[in-house]
Amino acid sequence: MQHTLTFTGENIHATITVPTNTLLADAAQHAGVDIGQPCGGQGRCGRCAVQVTLGNARRRSTLRLSPEDIAQGFALACQTVVEGDLAIYVGPQEKIERRLTTDRVVAEITVPPDYDYDQVQSIQRVHLDLAPPSLEDQTDDWSRLQTALRTQVKMEKVACSLHLLQTLSDTLRAGEWQVTAVVERNIQQPEMPMRLIEIYPGRVDEYSPLWGAAVDIGTTTITLWLVDLVSGQVKAQVAEYNGQIGRGEDVISRIIYSSKNGGREELRQRVLDTINGLLDTACKRVKVRPEDVMKCSIAGNSTMIHLLLGIPAGNIRLSPFITSVNHPPLLIGSEVGLAIHHEGTVDCLPGVASYVGADITAGVLSSGLEDSENVTLFIDVGTNGETVLGNRDWMVTCACSAGPAFEGAGVLNGMRATTGAIEEVWINSESLEPTYRVIGGGKPKGICGSGLISLLSEAFLTGVIDKAGNVNLSAKTKRVREGSHGGEYVVAWGTETETGEDIVLSRVDVDNLLRAKAAIYAGFTVLADTVGVPLESTSRGLVGGSVGKYINVEKAVQIGLLPDMEWSRFEFLGNTSVKGAYYALLDWRRRERIGDIARRMTYIELSADNSFYDAFTSALFLPHTDMTRFPSVAQALDKT
Amino acid sequence: MPIDIPKDKWPGSIKKITLGATAAEGGTRAKSITLGGQTTLPYLHFEAPTPNSPAIAIEIKSRKPEDWSPLLAEVWGEAMNDPAKWAKKAEEAGADLIVLALMLADSPDDAVKAVKSVLSASGLPLIVWGPGQAEKDNELLVPVAEAAKGEKLVLGICEDKNYRTIVATAMANGHLIEARTPMDVNLAKQLNILITDMGLPADRILMDPTTGALGYGIEYGYSVMERLRLAALQGDSMTQLPMIVTPGFEAWKAKESKVGEGVPESWGDWKARAVHWETLTAVALVESGADVIVLRHPESVKRVKSAIEELVMA
Repeated sequence: MQHTLTFTGENIHATITVPTNTLLADAAQHAGVDIGQPCGGQGRCGRCAVQVTLGNARRRSTLRLSPEDIAQGFALACQTVVEGDLAIYVGPQEKIERRLTTDRVVAEITVPPDYDYDQVQSIQRVHLDLAPPSLEDQTDDWSRLQTALRTQVKMEKVACSLHLLQTLSDTLRAGEWQVTAVVERNIQQPEMPMRLIEIYPGRVDEYSPLWGAAVDIGTTTITLWLVDLVSGQVKAQVAEYNGQIGRGEDVISRIIYSSKNGGREELRQRVLDTINGLLDTACKRVKVRPEDVMKCSIAGNSTMIHLLLGIPAGNIRLSPFITSVNHPPLLIGSEVGLAIHHEGTVDCLPGVASYVGADITAGVLSSGLEDSENVTLFIDVGTNGETVLGNRDWMVTCACSAGPAFEGAGVLNGMRATTGAIEEVWINSESLEPTYRVIGGGKPKGICGSGLISLLSEAFLTGVIDKAGNVNLSAKTKRVREGSHGGEYVVAWGTETETGEDIVLSRVDVDNLLRAKAAIYAGFTVLADTVGVPLESTSRGLVGGSVGKYINVEKAVQIGLLPDMEWSRFEFLGNTSVKGAYYALLDWRRRERIGDIARRMTYIELSADNSFYDAFTSALFLPHTDMTRFPSVAQALDKT
Repeated sequence: MPIDIPKDKWPGSIKKITLGATAAEGGTRAKSITLGGQTTLPYLHFEAPTPNSPAIAIEIKSRKPEDWSPLLAEVWGEAMNDPAKWAKKAEEAGADLIVLALMLADSPDDAVKAVKSVLSASGLPLIVWGPGQAEKDNELLVPVAEAAKGEKLVLGICEDKNYRTIVATAMANGHLIEARTPMDVNLAKQLNILITDMGLPADRILMDPTTGALGYGIEYGYSVMERLRLAALQGDSMTQLPMIVTPGFEAWKAKESKVGEGVPESWGDWKARAVHWETLTAVALVESGADVIVLRHPESVKRVKSAIEELVMA
């Protein structure tokens, strides 16, 4: 039986008659309608989705389509056969892809709806109208200011630095006794006096921005958000590799370096340089000066905080693993060495233990785990793979060293998830030719974490590498070759790349990625075993980290990084640590909750017995030595 | 009052595998050897009999090894210069099968010649090892596998970084392979998965979990073998394979066997000590479930053999 198909779309108008059971993709091709099939028509990539607006089609596979998509008529052209007359809308391919991945995209930063600058911000800017002195009223300048603070804005006790006293008389007179003061309430010790940070002559528009910065010091990547404290809006987001990387890729080697002569000061300087550089970049973007930043909230693992503050970190590494401080007091910019306002507040968020720092407490806050009724798994895919399992009643946590591979470091052609990074890769299972997508759309410079995850998964499913990660040198493609580090697969030839050099996945890279994913997987499986909670029973899997925006659950499961649960149960949150720091920066009540989280979490030491090592070696395989844990991957392998 | 001994019933069992092919089976061996088939832990006769005794292999080399102990040179004598003669002597010493280790100096032709001469000198099943360097192993083992097609040799040694070529040639020529991993249950399992993924049936794999000599890590090796066996009996199909171990190689590396001078007098007679070392290492591994024991000294062969007989009979 013959059926008439009508294709429409932007610049598409085609009609064709085909017999029953013709594949939609074939019909489109005969009609001269181009529908991309990067995965080679295996129904795996979802790029060939089209919308059937009228008529009957039978979907052989709906992988990558949500029930809502199907309800709206979406179908994979390569997996759908014609059973009647059809009208088909072919959307712009890239837009469809974006739409299909929206559930995995990191949400834009929205200001918490309950944010009320006057009520919850510890930094307040106030306008004061001072009575000018006279022969009758000979009150000194500082007392005059204090009186104004007390009577006009009800700030009873306010402390002041020598530097401000030195400039006070000029400022008051320059403003003709109209001044704007920036004052800080001590959120750690509310009974302490408030602190005068700055005083400007004249009045400032009430709604003009007051600047703060939220910082996440990752072992590999440092992220900084520049925030207008008045509106609560994030005005700039910047990130850079931690300048300490060249002095050790993980916390342990960093600690060892810091214990050497001069090492501690060098590492402090390196991290300060990175943060101050980021501050500069972010400030330039919104045309303000770094010294306009009045407050900085910092999250980071315990080692990073110690090194930032120049506190000896040696004991973190040595049994019984004791930090110098889990919860540093409020500090000021100039003593820490940050290029923010010299009197600006530096608030280092509280951690739990040597290996579970403020990055996790902040992450737990921003992920919403501590408030969730159901048992939730929170995984931070970072250089230290930390995991938290629990709900509003209990939380357990553990940490394991995963290495920087998922942040693109320690990988031959790895890079951060910025412009020029390959963020997703598909390999055709017949030709073994790759298709990739580059952030920004230009020529590729390297591969970021999400790209590495999808590349590893594709290489594995198509047999380019075996389950142990060996590159199959007998594969029939010129892209597989013997490189200087063993077997390698060429993702992009030099002619296609920004640098002119080939972009490859080498055997060493695969090993680093395998170790990273095995450590993270072993961490949360041992944690779940320890408390006797089967992973399948967790209602949600929250994934944080700087792996890249388009991290794909399916791929992450296929390489055995995430447990084989329904994909819809996972949520990617991006950098949860900086987000937690942002919440703490805005709202002193949320800041208090981070302290509360730190107190409530139970830390499980993985090195206490052999179970972690055993779980680690069994996870050093694609997807895992025990295939019964990954039924969906077994299915996918059967198909290919 | 009769006492009821509680018995464990395991869901899994060890696969039976056969080494060497007789004329009827398409080869030229005088007999073949069947290993495996266990349904419980080693030698628990009240639960199940031992279906197949562990076999003893004697290791010989394609050329006279320069680094072997003078005690071994003394006992094998002139035969060490000729693999055929050495194999014959090994058979006389009581070996159930021969391990022929090829050397780095061998060309592919040398290797084929050595294997053929051993096959014609002795009717025992044969295991052939490459010299232990990935590229060289592949270069030598492929022509050997082709030349001995149908003999059901065991080709070794496959490791996780180098297994494809050896497995492919074993598949093409009807041989078995030896899969070695460094003392780890998961790694052993992983290599078996990689090999069976290529299409070689599991009953053509001998698993080599690696071991250490007495005083040099045998406890660890023992425990890994025990755990592999427990996993197998619990139903994990990728560990249900017979195990081969090399106590001869390990024990003769130990100072106690290697050195005759400059050691405390209380250590006693050198030769007696060296043979004790090899024997004790081997017997411990037999008890942990080893199916093939590769030895070097004929006296050790005699002693281990009698220990096995007692264990199997008891």
